[in-house]
Amino acid sequence: MTEAIEIAVTINGRAHRLNVAPRRVLADVLREDLQLLGCKIGCDQAVCGACTVLVDEMPVTACTTFAFEVDRKTVITIEGLAEGGGLDPVQRAFLEHGAFQCGFCTPGMILSVKALLARHPEPDEALIRQWLSANICRCTGYQMIVEAVRAAARSGPG
Amino acid sequence: MDGAASPFRAPVIALDGPDKVTGAARYTFDVSLPGMLHAKVLRSPHPHARIRSIDTGRAEGLPGVAAVVTGIDAVGLPDPYYGVAIRDQPVVAIDKVRYVGDMVAAVAAVDEEIAYRALALIEVHYDPLPAVTAIDQALAEGAPLLFDTPAAGEPIKLGDGLVSLKEPRPNVLCEFGYTHGDADAVLAASDHVFEDRFHFSRINHFHLEPHVNIARVTGELIELWSCNQDPFVLRSDIARIFGRHANSIRIHASHVGGGFGGKSFCKMEPLVVLLAMKAGRPVRLCLSLDESLLTLTKHAGILILKTGVTRDGRLTARKSEIQLDGGAYSDASALTVVKTGYRITGPYRWYAVATRACAVRTNTVPAGSFRGFGGTQASFASESQIDMIARRLGIDPYDFRCKNLLALGEPFRPGDSGIDSDLAKGLDEVIERLGYRQRVRSSAQGHKARGMGLSIGIKDGGGTGNHAQALVKVLPSGRVIVSAAAVEIGQGATTTLSRIAAETLNLPLDWVRYGAIDTDSTPLDNGTHASCGTVVTGIAVMRAAADARDQVLEFAAERLGCTAAELALDNWTVRRGNYAHPLEPMIAEHFGGAGFEFIGRGMVKVPNDPKAPLTAAALFWMPCWVGAEVEVDRETGKVQVVHLVVGADSGRSVNTIACRGQVEGAALQALGQSLFEELRYEDGKPVNATPLDYRVPLARDLPDQYESFVLEHGGPGPFGAKGIGEAGMLGVASAIANAIEDAVGVRVTQIPFTPERVLAAIEAAP
Repeated sequence: MTEAIEIAVTINGRAHRLNVAPRRVLADVLREDLQLLGCKIGCDQAVCGACTVLVDEMPVTACTTFAFEVDRKTVITIEGLAEGGGLDPVQRAFLEHGAFQCGFCTPGMILSVKALLARHPEPDEALIRQWLSANICRCTGYQMIVEAVRAAARSGPG
Repeated sequence: MDGAASPFRAPVIALDGPDKVTGAARYTFDVSLPGMLHAKVLRSPHPHARIRSIDTGRAEGLPGVAAVVTGIDAVGLPDPYYGVAIRDQPVVAIDKVRYVGDMVAAVAAVDEEIAYRALALIEVHYDPLPAVTAIDQALAEGAPLLFDTPAAGEPIKLGDGLVSLKEPRPNVLCEFGYTHGDADAVLAASDHVFEDRFHFSRINHFHLEPHVNIARVTGELIELWSCNQDPFVLRSDIARIFGRHANSIRIHASHVGGGFGGKSFCKMEPLVVLLAMKAGRPVRLCLSLDESLLTLTKHAGILILKTGVTRDGRLTARKSEIQLDGGAYSDASALTVVKTGYRITGPYRWYAVATRACAVRTNTVPAGSFRGFGGTQASFASESQIDMIARRLGIDPYDFRCKNLLALGEPFRPGDSGIDSDLAKGLDEVIERLGYRQRVRSSAQGHKARGMGLSIGIKDGGGTGNHAQALVKVLPSGRVIVSAAAVEIGQGATTTLSRIAAETLNLPLDWVRYGAIDTDSTPLDNGTHASCGTVVTGIAVMRAAADARDQVLEFAAERLGCTAAELALDNWTVRRGNYAHPLEPMIAEHFGGAGFEFIGRGMVKVPNDPKAPLTAAALFWMPCWVGAEVEVDRETGKVQVVHLVVGADSGRSVNTIACRGQVEGAALQALGQSLFEELRYEDGKPVNATPLDYRVPLARDLPDQYESFVLEHGGPGPFGAKGIGEAGMLGVASAIANAIEDAVGVRVTQIPFTPERVLAAIEAAP
C-alpha cells in the first residue's frame, strides 16, 4: 500500500484536509468519507456522466478523477448547489419542468447544466443538446430537460 | 372523456422531486450496513462449456476474503433454480456455463478491490462445448443442446383452445399457439396474400443505477435491500430457493435508479443471500454497468407474417410464426412469448388468425422483461407489414389502417375486452401534427430524400388478472401515509398514488407521503410491471383512502351525534351543513395520548375469465400512435428522423407531467433501438457489452422536432385513468421503417436501420 496523500480541498464552500490513498477516486472519497451520496456512480468509466461534479467550475466525472487531483481546488457537488436553503435556479427549473424521472442522472445533469449556463448564459437549442450529450438520461427522452435548461437560462443567475 | 374538468389538469411538482434535484433521494445503491462486505462475481468467458473443476483455495486464502461461493454451495440449496413459470437458471453455475457472462463464482471481501483480486485467484477448468448464438443455429438439426434434462416448472396457463407447451423440442423453451377461424381457408380465398419476414434486435435496458443488492442474515431472518422492481415476487423466490417460509424473508425497497424491466423478477439476489449466509456478515453486491449488460436483454426475434387482404383493401386473415431469442435461461421468456404471439394481430379486424410463437434457447444473455414486453416486437412486425401491404395495393397507408381498425368497444380478439381508445382519433392527431396531408412525395433534394410513415402500436396493459393491496393511514393531524408496494422507479408512482389518496380524502397533496416499502409491513403488490401502477395499485389505494375516509366520518358522526351521511370531509374538518368541525381537537379529546390513526384498507383483483384467451380479459388497451418524417441519404444510407410525433392514451391523466415523461422517454428508447442501439454478437461472444461501446440515445440524437401528446379516452383506473408507461415504445420503429420506404422506396425489415442496412437495401433495389 502506498502512503496516503494529504490534500487541502474546498468542498461545497467548506475547507477540508483529507488523507487519501493515491489510487482512490474522487467519487469514492465524496461518497464514503464525506457521505455526499448525491454523487451517483453509473458506468464508473466516464461515459454516463452521473457522477459529474464541478472542480474549479469545470464539470468532471468524479469516477475517473483521482482524489489527489483536487488538491487546492474547489469542488461543488449537488449538495452544495442550494445556497441558504433555497434551490438553485437550475434545480428549480428541473423541478418545475419535470426534467427527471428515476433521478439517478439528475445530480450530474444539473451540475453539467450549471457549468453550461456559467459559460453560455443564453445557449441555443443546438448548444443545449450538444452540452447535455455529456450526460446520459435513460428515462426522460431529454426534451423536458432541454425545456428546463431554457427556463433556467431565462431566469438568469438567480 | 373530456379532461377539461379534471381536478388533475393542473400539473403538480413531483413529491420526490425536491429530494431528486438536491441529491437527497436515497437508492439501494446508497444503502450501507454496519460490518458490510462487498461482493464480486466471476463470469464465464465461454459461450458454452462444462465446468470440470473450480479451485477456490487461493482466493479463500487471500486476506480480507470472507466467503467464496460456487455451484457446490448452490447444489445444497432446497431449490437452486429460478425463472418465471419455467425454472432453469441456477443461483450460480452448477455444472455448465451457458453464455459469456454466466455467473460461475462469487466472492465476499472487506472491499471491492480485494474481491476483484480474489476473483483472479479462482481457477476454473472448462471443457468448451459447441455453442449456438442465433435462433437458426439453435434450431438446426443436431444443434448442441443447452440443457440435457427438463427444467422445473410448468407452462403458462392459458384459456381453452390455446396452446402452451414447456420445452416441446430441443432448445425450445416454450411454445404458444392461438387460432381463431380457419386461417388457411380464408387466406386461400383472399385476393392477395403477402408473406414477410422481420428481424428484431437485442437491446439492453441500460438503467443507470446498476443491479444492487445487500443481504443480511440474522438467525432465521433473511433480509434484502434490493433494487428489484418486484419485492413480493422476490420474497417468494427467496423463500422457495432457501426453503423458508415467506414470513422469515424481509425485502426493503428504495428509490430505483431506472429499470424498464431489467430489475424485474429474481436474478442475482439469491447469490447475495448465499454469500451473506456463508460469510456470516451483511454482503453488498453492486454490479458494474458492464455486468448489467450481461444480465438481461430485450428479446431479439424473427417474425414471419402471412397476411391476406381483399382487392379493395380489407384484411382477412393472418398466420404468424414467431421465434424469440430467449438467451441461455428462461427468465420471463415464457410470458413474453405468450404476449408477443397474442398481440401480433395488432388493432385490426380479422376473419381468422393462426399464431405460433416460441422462445429459443441460445448461448446469449438471457432475455426477459423490457418495456413493451413482446408488444414492441409484435408492433414492429405487424405495423411494418400493414404499411407494406397498403403500398403494394396502391392505397394510402393512413386510409388502409382506418379501413381495418377496430372500433371503440370492439373486442381485441373474441372473448377479450373491447378497445377503449378511439384509435382513428389518435391517428388523426398524428397526421395533423406531422403535416401528413400536405406532404410532398419524393421531395428529393440532391441525394437526400424525405418521407413520412405512420404506425399504431398496441398492447394490453395492467397485467393479466392482476391484483394489489394497499393501506392508507391518516394521522391525527390529517397527514397521510400511503402504503403500497408499487416501486418508485421514475414513473411517478409516488406522486400519482399520493394524489389518488389526497383526492379521495379531500386533502392537500403535500399532506401525503408515500411510505417506505418493506414486505414486513407494506401490503402485497404483484410487481411494478405492465404499466399497472396507476390502475391496479391505484384502485387499491383509492379504496384504502375511501375506507379511511369512511372511518373518519363514522368517528365524527359518533362524536357529533349524527349520521355519517350528514357529514363531508374537507381539509381535515368535517362539515355538517354550515358548521365546520376541525378533526384534530376532536381526535385529541377522545383518544388522548398519542392520538389515533385511521387505517383504511383496499384491494383489487382483476377477475379471472375462463372464456378470455389469456384467462382474464385485458384490463385496458395501450395504443401508441406514431408519425415520423425522415431524411434518408441515398449515398450513405444514413437515416435522420427530422420530425417525430408520439401519442398515447392516459384514460385520464392523474399526473400530466409524468404521463408526458413516460411517453417521450419510452419513444426515445425506441428511437435508439430503431437507428443504432443493439447488443451484438460475433463468434459466440458479445462484442459491445460495455457502456462505451453500447451506444444509447443522447440529447444530440433527438429528432429536430419531437412532439408528444396524451389523449384522455377514459379507463378503468381511479378517476378514469389507465396505464401509459410502455406505450411510447411500441410504434416508433415501424413508423420510421415506413417513412424510409416513403422516402426512398425500399423496405428495411431488420432493426436497427443502420446506414449499412439502408444502403444495402437501396443498392439492391431494381
